[in-house]
Amino acid sequence: MSSQLLRALRIVLMVMVGLFFLFPLLWVVLMSFMTNVDILRSPPSPFFVPTLRNYLALISGHLSTSSGNVQIDYMHNLLNSVILSVCSVVVSLILGVPAAYAFARYKFRGGEDMAFTLLSFRFAPPLLVLLPLLGYFQTLHLYDTYFGLVWVYQLITLPLVLWIVRGYFEDVSEDIELAYRLDGHGWLATFFKISIPLARPGIAAAGLLSFIFAWNNFIFALILGSSDVQPVTVGALAFITASGIEYGQIAAALVLSVIPTLVLAIFTQRYLVEGLSLGAIKG
Amino acid sequence: MTDKINDTLKAFAAGRMNRRDMLTRMGQLGIGAAATTMLLNRMQTSALAATSYDWMAQKGKSIKLLMNKHPYTDALLKNIDSFKTLTGIDVTYDVFPEDVYFDKVTAALSSKSTTYDLFMSGAYQTWQYGPAGWLVDLKKFINDPAETSPDYDWDGILPNLRASTAWSGVPGEALGSPTAKQWALPWAWELNSIAYNKRILEQAHMEPPKDLPHLIEMAAKISKDIPGVYGIGARGSRSWATIHAGFLSAYSNYGAKDFDTSSGKLVPAMNSKESKAFTKLWIEMLQKGGPKNWTTYTWYEVANDLGGGTSAMVYDADSAAFFQERGTKEAGNIVYHAFTPNPEASRPTPNVWIWSLAMSNFSRQQQAAWKLMQWATSTQQLTLGATKADLIDPTRQVVWDNQDFKTRMQGYPGFLDQFAASSPGAKIYFTPQPLFFNVTTNWAAALQKMYSNQVSVEDGLDQLAADIKSQLSNAGITD
Repeated sequence: MSSQLLRALRIVLMVMVGLFFLFPLLWVVLMSFMTNVDILRSPPSPFFVPTLRNYLALISGHLSTSSGNVQIDYMHNLLNSVILSVCSVVVSLILGVPAAYAFARYKFRGGEDMAFTLLSFRFAPPLLVLLPLLGYFQTLHLYDTYFGLVWVYQLITLPLVLWIVRGYFEDVSEDIELAYRLDGHGWLATFFKISIPLARPGIAAAGLLSFIFAWNNFIFALILGSSDVQPVTVGALAFITASGIEYGQIAAALVLSVIPTLVLAIFTQRYLVEGLSLGAIKG
Repeated sequence: MTDKINDTLKAFAAGRMNRRDMLTRMGQLGIGAAATTMLLNRMQTSALAATSYDWMAQKGKSIKLLMNKHPYTDALLKNIDSFKTLTGIDVTYDVFPEDVYFDKVTAALSSKSTTYDLFMSGAYQTWQYGPAGWLVDLKKFINDPAETSPDYDWDGILPNLRASTAWSGVPGEALGSPTAKQWALPWAWELNSIAYNKRILEQAHMEPPKDLPHLIEMAAKISKDIPGVYGIGARGSRSWATIHAGFLSAYSNYGAKDFDTSSGKLVPAMNSKESKAFTKLWIEMLQKGGPKNWTTYTWYEVANDLGGGTSAMVYDADSAAFFQERGTKEAGNIVYHAFTPNPEASRPTPNVWIWSLAMSNFSRQQQAAWKLMQWATSTQQLTLGATKADLIDPTRQVVWDNQDFKTRMQGYPGFLDQFAASSPGAKIYFTPQPLFFNVTTNWAAALQKMYSNQVSVEDGLDQLAADIKSQLSNAGITD
């Protein structure tokens, strides 16, 4: 009886904790199907007539507000976020994984200093870096280009990839690699056939984390690009105007912006949990 | 037929025919409302082009604007093609959300970016941008007959707004002084006053507030007697905007000043006798009749509560109330009210926000940019914005006198009367100085402490004045 009670209590507690954490997300999803009048009702009510108006406005690009019809570019912002985040992570993985391997396997002069310098990019306040960078970007005609932004996004993604993956390479026993090389395989083949597959959970975790950080970035594109290259983090603010706040559209925009990260997280979940837990117990 | 259409449009433009008659006549000639608007724009563009001023002097040039996402921007961009036709200048633009807009402007200017030729600004921001050498002093264009159209009528812009966007750069020196530089052109503005929900006031059997003591009494009673409704909405977040809106409007009405400049130096006056007396009333008003979480309130919350029927009155920008007139629960119940807080004062003294157009000093197309500034702030464009779009607070008196605009705004009870009563005393009441944002943010933080009874009003203001004195000294502005 007492064990059944404990079990029931545990379930109740788990539901409460789950609700506590999921409630904001759930409320945002509900808001995305409400009109502004429903959202601003006092006291708030979970009962309302759902509408797809907010999603249709975002997808069609025509927003009907209290002050008339306005054009919105949210889907373009979403595409910008995808381009910037995917390209940044791909570039970081291409550059960062071999570099992480080198830092993990070889001791060379200035190696630690270089690794720490790359990590220190994460410490610098973005504005401190961005203002001088803006001048250079204009001189080099990189302002308002995806290429320039992907380059700058490396400040976020490259140190993450490098330092996380480095830890996983250090965990891979060097003996396995040496055994493979004794069979007559070269260094490159060893790297691709042995080291990378063994560090795959770490690479997946680093890739996903980098993607999330890149996706959530706000300031880089704002300063270094025109409204044509702005990501969702800036685009979602466009629903706050002097003529009112379109809460329903903000919620719908939020839901849409979460989908790519959510899909990616679901697909890489297996690697992610494995990768993060391995990292956590590394001595 | 074409002659009849032209004659009708000319008669309307010249004020000899009202809008309804013009539309009726155009309808009889087989021209619909949309086509009439297009023809009217074209005719007004042609009228501008017909003056002796050479609008085509910069033909072939290209300029780029940096704009805030705002109904006023929509009003300008709606008709941008007529500017291109008039001048042959190509115009591109970037529009950024208000929450990040000034970050973008500051970054562009501080890095000496040549990307943007002109941008929207508030007057307060020009106190930072102008003395830093980032803005063009527009007097060089305004005073040059070769650069400025004889029809521009600079003096037709409301004098307080012209003065409020001009500053010498000397901390404490009055706005609009003879040595002041014109850092921006006033384009549209907002004055801070009372708007109330007539349904709630009728329910409470109350008349609009006569003065601040009356307002406090009303707000306290409404908060106490009507469930789910509080008396008065005002901004309260830890931001300069909290001081700028209702607070400074009422503060000035009580004769209080932010700084005392009578000695020729900038001396914080937030702890003066007048300031302390007024601040006690303000805090009392918020504690007895304000929103429960006042310290988080920005204009968003203030406006939304009015539209949602949660607040009975707001002391904020008239435009904030205006945009609650559509698609909200209380649409149709909002009334604008000119307000003189001090029982001994003779008229309202609203502090104002001025959306202005400023020119980057790093622009490579300054003459072309000036043409757009003239065009955007011309009587024709402001009239179009005010009658056809939501540029509801135009900066020219002639637009306020325009019959079409009056007819339109009569649908918003009290709006025109409020303007007529408030306009003569409406201006920026802050003393210009480069630490404006620090000073006002600290001021808002001090109000929050007083509101939550962490400190008394007397001590809070003394501490604030001492802190600001120290900041000014550290910044080398005072000894």
